[in-house]
Amino acid sequence: MFTHNFKYTLKILFKNKMLIFWTFAFPIILGTFFQMAFSDIEKNEKLDIIDIAIVNNQEFKDNTIYRESFKALSDKESENRLFSIQYVTEEKAQNLLSDDKIIGYFLLKDDNPKVVVGTSDINQTILKFVVEEISSKLEIMRNVANLKIEEEKKNMPLGDMGNYNSLYASVYGQVMEMSKENNTNIKNISSNHLSYTMIEFYTLIAMACLYSGILSMFAMNQSLANMTTTGKRMAVSPTSKGKIILSSVLASYLTSLIGIFLLFLYTIFVLHVDYGNQILYIILLAFAGSLAGLSLGVVTSCCFKVSDNTKTGIIISITMLGCFLSGMMGITMKYIVDKNIPIVNKLNPANMITDGFYSLYYYDTLDRFFFNFFSLLVFATILIVISIFYLRRQKYDSI
Amino acid sequence: MIVFKTFLKVLNKNKFIVILYSAILIFFGAFNMQTSDSSQSFVSSKPDVLIVNQDEDKGITHNLIQYMEKHSKKIKVEKEEEAINDALFYRDINYVIYIPKNYREDFLSGKNPQMNIKSTGDYQASLAEMLLERYLNVASTYQKVISEEEKLIEKMNETLSKKVDIEVTSKLDMNNLQRASYYYSFANYSILAGCVYIICLVLASFLEENVKKRTVISSMKEKEFNRKLLLSNGLFAFVLWLLYAVVSFFLVGDIMFTAHGICYLINSFLFCFCALTLAFLIGNLIHNKNAINGIVNVVALGSSFLCGAFVPAEFLPDFVLKIAHLLPSYYYINSNELIQKIEVISLDTMQPVILNMIILLLFSILFSILANFFSNRKRKVG
Repeated sequence: MFTHNFKYTLKILFKNKMLIFWTFAFPIILGTFFQMAFSDIEKNEKLDIIDIAIVNNQEFKDNTIYRESFKALSDKESENRLFSIQYVTEEKAQNLLSDDKIIGYFLLKDDNPKVVVGTSDINQTILKFVVEEISSKLEIMRNVANLKIEEEKKNMPLGDMGNYNSLYASVYGQVMEMSKENNTNIKNISSNHLSYTMIEFYTLIAMACLYSGILSMFAMNQSLANMTTTGKRMAVSPTSKGKIILSSVLASYLTSLIGIFLLFLYTIFVLHVDYGNQILYIILLAFAGSLAGLSLGVVTSCCFKVSDNTKTGIIISITMLGCFLSGMMGITMKYIVDKNIPIVNKLNPANMITDGFYSLYYYDTLDRFFFNFFSLLVFATILIVISIFYLRRQKYDSI
Repeated sequence: MIVFKTFLKVLNKNKFIVILYSAILIFFGAFNMQTSDSSQSFVSSKPDVLIVNQDEDKGITHNLIQYMEKHSKKIKVEKEEEAINDALFYRDINYVIYIPKNYREDFLSGKNPQMNIKSTGDYQASLAEMLLERYLNVASTYQKVISEEEKLIEKMNETLSKKVDIEVTSKLDMNNLQRASYYYSFANYSILAGCVYIICLVLASFLEENVKKRTVISSMKEKEFNRKLLLSNGLFAFVLWLLYAVVSFFLVGDIMFTAHGICYLINSFLFCFCALTLAFLIGNLIHNKNAINGIVNVVALGSSFLCGAFVPAEFLPDFVLKIAHLLPSYYYINSNELIQKIEVISLDTMQPVILNMIILLLFSILFSILANFFSNRKRKVG
C-alpha cells in the first residue's frame, strides 16, 4: 500500500501544472529576474572614473602642484586613476556641466581654488575632497619647509648667512620628496565574500523550500476525508492511515527536493550564485529547509478546516511574509529585523534558511550555521507533532 | 447597467488583491521618504565609518577619531566582531578602522604602526579610505619635523581644516524629484499587477463558456455589451490611477503641484491606459483563472525588474536594457527618470519624454488591435 500510494501521489503532483509552475518554474523565473536586475549593482558601486573638467587658464598652467597632481590622478596607466579630465575654457566647462557630461569642474583664480558642481553627491564630494587635499599639500609643504629652515638656521653659525640659498634649495628638495611619499600603513582585513546581492538568491531558495508546503498540503488533501472524495474513500478503506499519510508526505518531500535540486543547479551553473564551498552543509540545509516547508504544509492542511484555495493562500502568505522579513524585497530589511527585533527572525523559517546560507557564505565558523540548521529541525518537529495530534482518531459523523 | 453591476461584483470579490498591490506601493513609497535634506548649498556625502579603538583615547589617537567622526556618519553597532561583520555585509557601515594598541606611542616614536581596516569596497568606502589616508599622510609628514604632540595636533588640524570654495549650479529640488520619480517608477508594478490581474479575472468571468452563451443569446447587442465592458474596465483603470495619483500628493508632497508633477501624472495616466489594453489582450488570450495569477506575476514582476522599477535603470546591465526596449514599462520609467532631470519644462526640453509617450500610445494601439483580433476569432461558441 505504501509504495502504491507513494507512486500515485508522485504522479498526481507532477501532473498538476499549477503546482509545478509555482514550486519549480516560478523560483527559477524569479531568480532570472534577480540576476538581470542585480548583476551590475555591485559593480556600479565600485569607485568609477569620474568625468570632470579643469579650466585651463594661465594660473593653472603655472601652478605645478595642481597640474601635476591632477595629471597623476588622471593617468590612464595608473591603477589609482580617479578622473577623466577635459582641459577647457570656463565657458566650455559650464556648458559641459549643464549638459551633464561632467559632474563638476575645477577653477583656479587669484590663487583661490574653486569647485563648481551640479548637485551634492558622492562623486562631487570626492572632487571637492581631492582639491582640498591638494591645497592642503601645498600648505604642508610650506609649513614643513619653514620649520626645517628654522631648525637649520639655529644650527648654523651666525656668520654663515651666505649659504641660505643652498639651504632653501636642499630643504625644498627634501620636502618635495616627502610630499610624494605615501606614509600610510593600512591593511585590509575584510572578507572577500561581501556580495550582499547573494542574499536575494538565498531568500529565493528559502521561498522554494517553503513553497514545498503547497505540495505537501495538496498531497495531504488527497487523504483527508473533509477535503476530497479520494480522501473519503481512503477514510473508509481498511488501510493504515499512518502509512497513507506518511507515503503521501514522503512523495511530496521527494518532489520538492527535486525542485530545489533543479533550482540549485540553475542558480549555480547559470546564475553563478556563490554558496561557499561546503557542499555537504548546503545539502543538509536544503533538506532541513524543505522539511520545514513540508511541515508547514502538513499543519496548514490538517489544522485549518477551510477550502483548498484558502490553504494555498495561507502558505503563500506565510512564505512571502517570511521572505520579506529575511530580505527578499530589500536586503536591508533582514538586517533591520536582525538588529532590532532579532526574535522575529529567530522564529522565521525563511530567515533560518537564508541566514544559514549567509553564514556558510560569509563566516568561516559553523556555529551560526548549526544554530539555524537545528532551529529548522525544531520548527519542523513542532509543526509535525501538532499535526499528528490533530490527525489522530479523526472521525466524521457527516461531511 | 447590468454589465457594470456584474463587473463590480467580480471586483468586490477580488478587492483584496487591489488592496494588496496598493499597500505595497504605499509602503515602499513611504519607506523611501526618509532622507529629505533639500538644501541648496553643497552637502558632502558622509560615509558610514566605525572606529574600533584598542588604544587609549587621547592625544593623536583622540584626534584621529575626532577627525573621522567629523567627516563621516557615526553608526551605532555593537562592538562584537560578528555584529560588525554583519553591519559591513549589509552596508550599514562602509568602513571599519581598527586602531591598534599603543598606536599613539608607536606613532610618536616614529614607527609606522599598521592599521587594520575592513571595507565594503564601494564609493563610500573609497571616500572613507581617502579620508583616513589623508589624515595619516598629514600626520606622518608633520611628525618628522614636529616632535611635540600638542603642537603637532594643532598644525595638523590647521592643515586638515582647509576648505575649498564650492558652488552648486543646479537649482532643482533633487531629493523631492527623485522621490517622485521613484514612487512613479515603482507604481509600474502596482499598476501592471493590479490592472492586469483584475481585468483578466473580470474578462475570464464574462467569457466563461456558460456565461458567454447566455450573453450571446441575450437581447443585448454584442457591440453594446463590449462597449459597456470596456467602459467598466476603463473606469476601473482610471480609478486605480486616480488613487495612486492622490496618494502621491501625500507621499511626495509639494513637487506634485509643479509642472514636473503634472508631467508625472500625464505619464502615469498614459501608462495606465497602456496597461488597460495589455490587460485586454491577456484577458482575451487566457481564460483559465488559475493561470492568470501566474501570468500576471511573471508579466508584472518581469517588466518591473527588467525596466528599472525596483532597481534604477542606470544600475542594470546593457543587455537587460536592450531587452527592456521591447516592453512598454521601459518607456514609462524612462520618462519618469527624464522628467526628474529636466530643469525647465518646455516643449523643447520635453521632446524625449513626448517621444516616449507616443511610443506608449503605439503600444496601446498594438495591444488593442491584437486583443480585437483574438477576441473576434474566439467569438464563435459551439
